[in-house]
Amino acid sequence: MISFNRSQIIGAEFPDSEIVRFNGIQEDHIYGMEINMEVRIKDGEILKVEGNMKRYTTPVCPKAIPVLQTAVGKSLKDEGWESKIMKEIGRKGCEHFAEIIIECGHCFEPALRSHDLSLALEKDPALDQEQFLKNWSA
Amino acid sequence: MIQRFMRNKVVEVEPRPDGNLEVSWRLTDDLLKAEVRTVVQLPDMEILEADATLERFLPQGGEVASELIKKIEGINIGGGLRKIVAGLLGGPDGCPILVTAILESANAVILHFTRPGLHLSEAMTDPKELKEGFQFMLQTNPRLVRSCIAFQDDSPLMEGLNL
Repeated sequence: MISFNRSQIIGAEFPDSEIVRFNGIQEDHIYGMEINMEVRIKDGEILKVEGNMKRYTTPVCPKAIPVLQTAVGKSLKDEGWESKIMKEIGRKGCEHFAEIIIECGHCFEPALRSHDLSLALEKDPALDQEQFLKNWSA
Repeated sequence: MIQRFMRNKVVEVEPRPDGNLEVSWRLTDDLLKAEVRTVVQLPDMEILEADATLERFLPQGGEVASELIKKIEGINIGGGLRKIVAGLLGGPDGCPILVTAILESANAVILHFTRPGLHLSEAMTDPKELKEGFQFMLQTNPRLVRSCIAFQDDSPLMEGLNL
């Protein structure tokens, strides 16, 4: 029998050519959390973030929700951005919110690559996808 | 609005009849499919076995992932793991996906042990008893102290503790 299970689901929308909007959900046997955040494509800066705690373990945990705002202005392209998020959002707020923001950050470049590839495939369905991704740069 | 990119990740811990834990970490998104399986020996939490498979459009280090992951065998889950994993599986010749997979698998093993204690605390209805339960958890798991807002020095859960 499975004694612990965690799922993370990250989705990315492109409301316009300058912004990517992430929705991240983390559900496990213990915690249930959600993050919505907007990131500027050209420099990876987090423009907006909001979080929702569905399941948590202590009465203090919801106080981590306002701490999320310290992520605004941080860039997903900066050196050591993951450690900064874990320190500022995780330690001073909630580690699980930080985990979701970091996973959204891990999806930043793949989401852009995937988006560009799908647009290129619309124009040329026979496109060599492997080659396209090899030549791709942000 | 329609999603232009989706990633699904799952990590599962399953106790085996031999007393070890099997951890399955899987990722699938528009560009990548990855699976990392580890077997963790108790009580020392040594990673006995590790296997990795990466498919679709391979990221950095993806071509050698199945060989690279073997470097983690023999390592114990515990203090300093982040640096050890980064040293063995990360860097310019490494594979960042494997680093993430191993750290998240190790975290899942820790949460496998955390879950029963939290089940017990859920049954407590008296706030004083609940606080004492958390304080016992902090005293027996000092790594939790100042790990998040609930366990910072100014938290009501830390009142009276000198940790």
